[in-house]
Amino acid sequence: MTELAVLAKYPFLNDTKEYIKSIGLSVEELLSHPLYERARTIGIERLDNALKNTDVGDSCVVTDSDCMMVVLSYPIARMVAVCVGDTYFKKRYALGEAYCAYRNLLDESSLFLLDAAKELGLHAGSIEEKQQIRLYFKDYLRFAPTHYKEWNMTNRTIDRGFVTVSQKDLARIILEVLRKRINDELDARECDPLAIRMFSEDIKRFQNIVSMQKKKMEAAPVGKLSVEKLPPCMKYILAAIQAGENVPHMGRFALVAFLHSLKLSPNEILKLFSTAPDYEEDKTRYQVEHISGKTSSTEYKSPGCDKMRTYGICPQEKIDELCRRVHHPASYYSAKWRQEKEKT
Amino acid sequence: MPENDASLQKTLDFLRTQFREYYENNPIELPDRFGRREFAFVLFGGKGMIRHLAFPKKTDFTAFLIDRAPMHAYYSSAYYKKPDASTMQEKQWMGAELIFDLDSDHLPNAEKLSYAESLDLVKKEFKKLVEEFLLGDFGFNEKYLDLYFSGGRGYHAHVKDPNVFDFDSNERREIVDYITGRNLQDAIVFKEHVTGKKEYHGRSFASGKSLIMPSPDEAGWKGRISRGVIELVDEIARSSDPIKKLEEYGVKQTDAEKLIQDLSEDRVKRIREGLLDQSKTIRRFFLNSALRKTAVSLAKGETDEPVTCDVKRLIRLPGSLHGKTGFQVKKLTLDELKEFNPLNDTVVLSDEPIKVTLRQPFTITMNKETFSLTEGETEVPTYLAVFLLGRKIAVLF
Ligand code: SF4
Repeated sequence: MTELAVLAKYPFLNDTKEYIKSIGLSVEELLSHPLYERARTIGIERLDNALKNTDVGDSCVVTDSDCMMVVLSYPIARMVAVCVGDTYFKKRYALGEAYCAYRNLLDESSLFLLDAAKELGLHAGSIEEKQQIRLYFKDYLRFAPTHYKEWNMTNRTIDRGFVTVSQKDLARIILEVLRKRINDELDARECDPLAIRMFSEDIKRFQNIVSMQKKKMEAAPVGKLSVEKLPPCMKYILAAIQAGENVPHMGRFALVAFLHSLKLSPNEILKLFSTAPDYEEDKTRYQVEHISGKTSSTEYKSPGCDKMRTYGICPQEKIDELCRRVHHPASYYSAKWRQEKEKT
Repeated sequence: MPENDASLQKTLDFLRTQFREYYENNPIELPDRFGRREFAFVLFGGKGMIRHLAFPKKTDFTAFLIDRAPMHAYYSSAYYKKPDASTMQEKQWMGAELIFDLDSDHLPNAEKLSYAESLDLVKKEFKKLVEEFLLGDFGFNEKYLDLYFSGGRGYHAHVKDPNVFDFDSNERREIVDYITGRNLQDAIVFKEHVTGKKEYHGRSFASGKSLIMPSPDEAGWKGRISRGVIELVDEIARSSDPIKKLEEYGVKQTDAEKLIQDLSEDRVKRIREGLLDQSKTIRRFFLNSALRKTAVSLAKGETDEPVTCDVKRLIRLPGSLHGKTGFQVKKLTLDELKEFNPLNDTVVLSDEPIKVTLRQPFTITMNKETFSLTEGETEVPTYLAVFLLGRKIAVLF
């Protein structure tokens, strides 16, 4: 059995799940027994930290009982996150867990990393003589942040279906797997009534924080942009970027070109993106300035609905009446403005 | 004799009859998961494409082909819960093969080549795609690769590895970007290497730098670029008119002269050993030309987007006839591809002679026979007649 301290760092591993099972606690005990008060406090800390720092944080683990409390805080945090019931909140929490694991994984041996990767369903192996790691290209495509140039497969070595990655790369890819997995798991769960009762105050507090943050984001007085009037496609991409999701290059491109066509300056566009937890000023600035024609000879045109559809970034389930009448996201946006004027 | 509606009708009738005869005598092998595919057709003389058809039974399909004798027959690379629904949403996408479409139209300078020359060029390109990229870098198992001659001007590769079925268009685009060498960063390929040091006030500085190329047998783009560079250097060194050779690679004459000056024998030797000098012109020229030489140009769809990214693409039905040539869309193995000559090996229509009227003189070698045809009425085998009529080089009166 893996050491308890390791389990505390990686609560999503199968060993940890086994361990929790072996304690044989009921949900009721976990949520209400005084013995586990500390686990519950740490659980709430996880959520607070995720919101504030994009990292659920490491609690101090000295004794075995410390470890156990940290391990148990994980299922508690998840239950509360489900009950807060907000997509944005769940996403932030999932990212916080994934980021914390990533940070810790950076210090692990490649053997440990490979085991974790395999457990998470990645097809990874090592190239012994070169001390390198190989990852099946499908996993790479799915989880690597390929919207950055240095992550483009073209700039990687790929041979017989396997991409060579460094340990750090693999940790970054695991972050993405975890983020997605935890997010999906949270989405699939129902809120436990007992958890609502036990954590009603915290849940309310989180809901308030989230709604305030959302208001801030929507009201973000970036130039004359009204986020509310954005067409569904752009709203969707912007929200994904702000939540720190892996947005494919085409999506970023379409949004930046669109915002640029509304005469937003690169600085204003950057401001919109800066709420993203994985925001990297330099890289993003380069992309934005490139697309808006500041550092390249071409000024890229913002794609129309047809193109958006072929790129798979027109969200079919979210399009509305107005969408059916326009051929370009920009005309959607201006039509919204016109509608408003007509009302007043 | 003026061309008129009657002659057009006669041409269409003739072509339709030939195609029908083919479909009557040659049962078409159906694609796998056939009931889940959408089918689409263009008919002789029809306007536009008939889409959203599905055939639950094989016999229905065969009957349809014989009855309509279509000019072009397509099926979807995707499979759906309801392939005959008219919108994507209702169709319910379940997955799609990965399709690569190579067409001579998309190769540089294709307009200047004859039909046969352009077919040759696209075949080379196709071999590169299959051997270097699909089997090599991506490591697909040969049993999952289906290769086809398109019946027109190109080749298709279908990857049927179940691992690719659920790729979305972004993931497909990433594969296309790889194969076309998009965004390749030269710093990743060429590494700087300090060749000399100077002492100055007790500290040492780099006095010379050169770029090291990866070894040509390295995997992926690194080795590929090196191989491309070495090939290029050899080509230029061997050429009797190196400046002209460089101009073929798109180098301006003045730049070409400078480059040749720079490419002393000594330098060429060093490049073969893997050292590129830090001269900017040389570096840029080699990277760009080696890239162009070794990357694959893929066909673009209607929205100027490579068709490979499209998860709901319609592709030509293997075994069917191409309406503009009368050639069969033919499945090939990698071995067959080597010797394959579409102008001989996909001729399936009869050789019964028929009179057509040529609009212009035309020469072609087909079915191992060379035809030098002059303008005006002439007698040719049916398969050639279909080719000439389909490509509007001749008419029927
Ligand atoms: S229809 Fe056009 S405006 Fe509406 S969501 Fe799709 S791409 Fe955006």
